Amino acid sequence: MDVLIALAMVAPMVAAAVAGIGGWRRWTATLTVLSCVAVLGAGVALAILTHGSSRIAFGDVLRADALSATMLIVVGVVGTLASWASIGYIDHELAHGHTDDREARRYGALIPAFVAVMALAVSANNIGVIWVAVEATTVIAAFLVGHRRTSTALEASWKYAVICSVGIAVAFLGTVLLYFAALHAGASAEQALDLDVLASHAAHLDPAVVRLAGGLLLIGYGAKAGLVPFHGWLADAHSQAPAPVSALMSGVLLSVAFSVLLRLRPIVDDAVGPGFLRAGLLVVGLATVLLAALLLTVTADLKRMLAHSSMENMGLIAVAAAAGTRLAIAALLLHVLGHGVGKTVLFLAGGQLQAAHHSTTIDDITAVLSRSRLVGGSFAVGLLAIVGLPPFALFASELGIARSLANSGLAWALGVVLVLMAVAFAALVSKTARILLGEPAAGAPPIGVPSTVAAALVAGVVASAALGVTSGPMAGLFATAAAQFGAG
Amino acid sequence: MTDPVYATLLDLAAGALLVSAVLIVWMRGLTAIIRTLALQGAALAAIPVISGVRQGDSALIAVGVALLMLRAVILPWLLARAVGAEREGRRDAEASINATASLLIAGGLTVAALVVAQPLVALSPTAATNAAPAGIALILIAIFAMVIRRHAVGQAAGFLALDNGIAATALLLTAGVPLLVELGASLDILFAVLVFGVLTERLRRMFGDTDVSRLRELRD
Amino acid sequence: MTAVSVLAGVTQIGAVVVGSPLVVGLMRQIRAKSEGRCGAGILQPWRDLRKQLRKQQVTPLGTTLVFAAAPIVVAASALLIAAIAPLVAICSPLDSVADLFAVVGVLFIGTVALTLAGIDSGTSFGGMGSSREITIAALVEPTIMLSVFALSVPAGSANLGAIVSLTVRDPHSVVSLAGVMALVALVIVVIAETGRLPVDNPATHLELTMVHEAMVLEYAGPRLALVEWAAGMRLTVLLALLANLFVPWGVAGAQSGLAAVGIGLAAISIKVGALAALLAVAELFLAKVRLFRIPELLVGSFLLALLAVTAANFLAVQG
Repeated sequence: MDVLIALAMVAPMVAAAVAGIGGWRRWTATLTVLSCVAVLGAGVALAILTHGSSRIAFGDVLRADALSATMLIVVGVVGTLASWASIGYIDHELAHGHTDDREARRYGALIPAFVAVMALAVSANNIGVIWVAVEATTVIAAFLVGHRRTSTALEASWKYAVICSVGIAVAFLGTVLLYFAALHAGASAEQALDLDVLASHAAHLDPAVVRLAGGLLLIGYGAKAGLVPFHGWLADAHSQAPAPVSALMSGVLLSVAFSVLLRLRPIVDDAVGPGFLRAGLLVVGLATVLLAALLLTVTADLKRMLAHSSMENMGLIAVAAAAGTRLAIAALLLHVLGHGVGKTVLFLAGGQLQAAHHSTTIDDITAVLSRSRLVGGSFAVGLLAIVGLPPFALFASELGIARSLANSGLAWALGVVLVLMAVAFAALVSKTARILLGEPAAGAPPIGVPSTVAAALVAGVVASAALGVTSGPMAGLFATAAAQFGAG
Repeated sequence: MTDPVYATLLDLAAGALLVSAVLIVWMRGLTAIIRTLALQGAALAAIPVISGVRQGDSALIAVGVALLMLRAVILPWLLARAVGAEREGRRDAEASINATASLLIAGGLTVAALVVAQPLVALSPTAATNAAPAGIALILIAIFAMVIRRHAVGQAAGFLALDNGIAATALLLTAGVPLLVELGASLDILFAVLVFGVLTERLRRMFGDTDVSRLRELRD
Repeated sequence: MTAVSVLAGVTQIGAVVVGSPLVVGLMRQIRAKSEGRCGAGILQPWRDLRKQLRKQQVTPLGTTLVFAAAPIVVAASALLIAAIAPLVAICSPLDSVADLFAVVGVLFIGTVALTLAGIDSGTSFGGMGSSREITIAALVEPTIMLSVFALSVPAGSANLGAIVSLTVRDPHSVVSLAGVMALVALVIVVIAETGRLPVDNPATHLELTMVHEAMVLEYAGPRLALVEWAAGMRLTVLLALLANLFVPWGVAGAQSGLAAVGIGLAAISIKVGALAALLAVAELFLAKVRLFRIPELLVGSFLLALLAVTAANFLAVQG
């Protein structure tokens, strides 16, 4: 079991080292894909093996429980799809002279490093180590976002670096304050950052200090998850990064950052009572959904539209976490998984559109469905999955979230969220219709799809459909996680 | 080292942190700001050294020396290199608010930090914790400095000050988080500053200067 | 009110009256020597005063009592501070009214008197100098109040004697965060109040740069002598106060004899001399700051004073 947990991190690190030394080759890139499959496999195996309990490994540094297994599965699936598509993407870029060997080598090494650090962030038992991992993703992603050497990409990576660094620094302060409170509640100095030790001492932590720490952690990790008020980097970074990187960020990074909040929630709740984080998450979540819905109505750029949709979903997840019941947590996790896969498909398809048109303005791109069955079709499927239509997974998760909100006395929040989601739905569908439908214009460029990207798109579509129809095996996993982190 | 002397030295170190924070907001020349950052790093490193001498803990003293090397020498040097690459006339970190207003806001932020830190001091009223509000004030002032600066290296300097503040708060409250985390955190900060340096270089090559108020192409 | 305390009080006043031109002369001499000139000697200000006292009194047409009375008010305020501040001994006869806030107020009376005189002269230079002076004063007053407050927090009282005796007993009340910041703020305040570089250049008569000199431009003869003397006394008294608030050792205590008074006198002379020399040397490296940037400098010192107060209140020294 310990080996499995370590495998999830070691495999991508090895792939990163190999890619860094070997440069961008077919076999190093394929190794990256295989390492992400290994992460997925480790997640699945852990899910089967943990069933109900948590397990600490490697001297209190790593842990395996239902939540970490779920997140590893998310990381694995999205990582596999994204790294698979990266092969075609980078080959295309190299062939057309948009990038050179050195950049490709750096890209090839950074992607598996990113995956490895994400795996560490979800498997660590020590909140300090979690922080280090999340900070490392900021550093790695700053380079990945600026991969295309355009002025807008540089602007996006600068904003990303500055805003996320400030956010993560605030999160570190929150971590330090939590450590301080734990020391004064009797935990020993070496162990006071361990999640299990914190959980056992939670009732004795000083409420005022923990309130301060909880607020800082919410804002800090919320910055990485794209929640208000540090959300400014999201649209820029997602729109300027290469499509596989956007997929990784939307599908994985945001959810991993939020999962850290989920882990910290029981500790803060035990110390100051459930009302504090509930109110905080509710305010932040509703503000994020509101802002995202408004931005969705005015945006004119394809990838920014997808980024705002990610923001909206993260806000919805925050609202669900505010509700905090078992149903809410289980629905939340399903939502994370379904959103991750669906958004990956959307971004990959969108990347192909960008490669064909050399622009992502919605008005420039029309009649995709009649020009390329594959790209158009997968974009359509992805969109249907994201807006929450049955039979896709997000339908079930949104239903679950709605029910849990109603059950925990947050019916007013439910009303607000439904209205905003309807607004977002309308905006998304109308813009996507403009992209997909209609007669092709005379000089429309052909939409080429490299084979690996095509394979990734198809796999993603299949996975979305499968998730929607058969979330049965996952239900047990989600229920276990929910039992650990939800209440009532 | 007797109690009053220990408390006085800690207070002086915390005060140096606070005064350097005010100077960073006040001053306009980038080289002067980076020199102040180096002094700030030295004041930060003094804190574990003072505590280590008081408790006879050589590990703390070693941490202090390492911090001195990192925060007072290496990181300011990296930033100075980024500044050195600028043309002569562009080494000013302009701010979007004038000096008087920004100083008054910094004063307000200090008072806010002192109020916010009350529960911390109440929980553990030792000499070290009493100085923790200075660290929190440094954090708030550094975030403010990052917000108002228009030069890329100026923002990076603000980030470094922010990090100094967090490290100071951690050291004052708890004599440092466990070594593993401290190591990881320091490495991450190093890499973050390197990222800033690289991005600044690219900004300069792309735009000709590093005025971040030029970065306004991405919008809805 | 013993004989010794009366003697101490008289000694204080006498020392300030006699010594202030010497302080000004010392500063000018240091500047001259550093610039490579012979200099006019430390006694030159006394010679200037003697010369001016013998000259004819000239009163501009249209001036009122304000113009005539201002030099007397300024000199009187400086002498009053010299009388009540604990310069030579803590136990001066006026100790009960030696409140730090009162000192600040008396100082301000002197500033206002001269400002009004500048306006009263009716010339454009006078008005310009007065408006500049009052701008600076308006920004300096809050800073003085705050730093004085910061200093009074450890002693629990604003009485000068109490503060100085507390510092003599327990150095940690000033060698602390609040003390250091209050010191820096007060240094800037002293520079602003006495019109030294970088706030005001005492040797200039250019329209662009005059502040104090513009206000007293119309004075001549004995009144000019009084004004110059009063300016020197303010400088001396402020330097002495600064020295005794932060480095009070040598001050004669409450129950002390003649010898202690003598030691106190010598100590304060040495301290003032040293501070004056330090100030003169520092001025060599400074240029006058442009008028619109002076608020920046003063806001910085205000912030330091604010930080000093918050530090004094929140960061109490343990043990």
